[in-house]
Amino acid sequence: MDVTLSSIGETPLLETRGEIDHNTCGSIETALSDALGDGHVVVLLDLRRVTYIDSGGLSVLLSGVRQLRERGWLGVIGPNPNVRRLLEIVGLLVDPGFRVFADRQAAEAALTE
Amino acid sequence: MGTSHENLERVITVKAETASLAVIRRFVEEVATEAALHVERVFDLKVAVSEASANAVEHASCNMALLEVRARLRPRRLTFIVTSTGRFRPPSPQREISNNRGLGMPLMVALMDEVSFARAPGGCTTVSLSVLLDQNATVPA
Repeated sequence: MDVTLSSIGETPLLETRGEIDHNTCGSIETALSDALGDGHVVVLLDLRRVTYIDSGGLSVLLSGVRQLRERGWLGVIGPNPNVRRLLEIVGLLVDPGFRVFADRQAAEAALTE
Repeated sequence: MGTSHENLERVITVKAETASLAVIRRFVEEVATEAALHVERVFDLKVAVSEASANAVEHASCNMALLEVRARLRPRRLTFIVTSTGRFRPPSPQREISNNRGLGMPLMVALMDEVSFARAPGGCTTVSLSVLLDQNATVPA
């Protein structure tokens, strides 16, 4: 699974597409780990083109949130309704270290808060 | 394998490896769509069956292990039965921690109407995942 790294200002923005499952989540985990290792307080993940996520991918997100919670947050952009339901089931939507944005503009606006 | 929606039954057997999960999800999608389930319930089934299969893969002890997924459509329910034909190894606390596991079961329970587990002699574990069709809107044929 390819993960593209760009940024909004100095905030890293990871983007991927397709299905994030136990077989493919390793590349997201590595990219997220690299971003966290660089000391960023906010990391963004664009999920607009992600059609599916399972506990492998959700675990990566939860791990990222745990590491960021004390100093910032992990934001996801544009999860489809099914993916969003799973984020809710595992408790991410009520986690103070996790935020969901409809699009990149909304995420960018949040970075200036 | 029948063509009637009243009593459809299908099965696939794949290698017990994570690369098979996408194949299993395509199988689930095909059957659930044919059963005229709403797209949201199709997604639920894909997640639940994929999670059960991922658990089986994780506990498969050797590369030769196989995974069978059986779809059974009855008038009021659609059930997917996941069976690993490989032997299971004992749970490893270290493995559970390193893989950040523990989400699969809650997802299965949250998304399905019924979930059951059975351990057969010889070590095979069977997970049955059902949606009750009476409680779910279906797409007209």
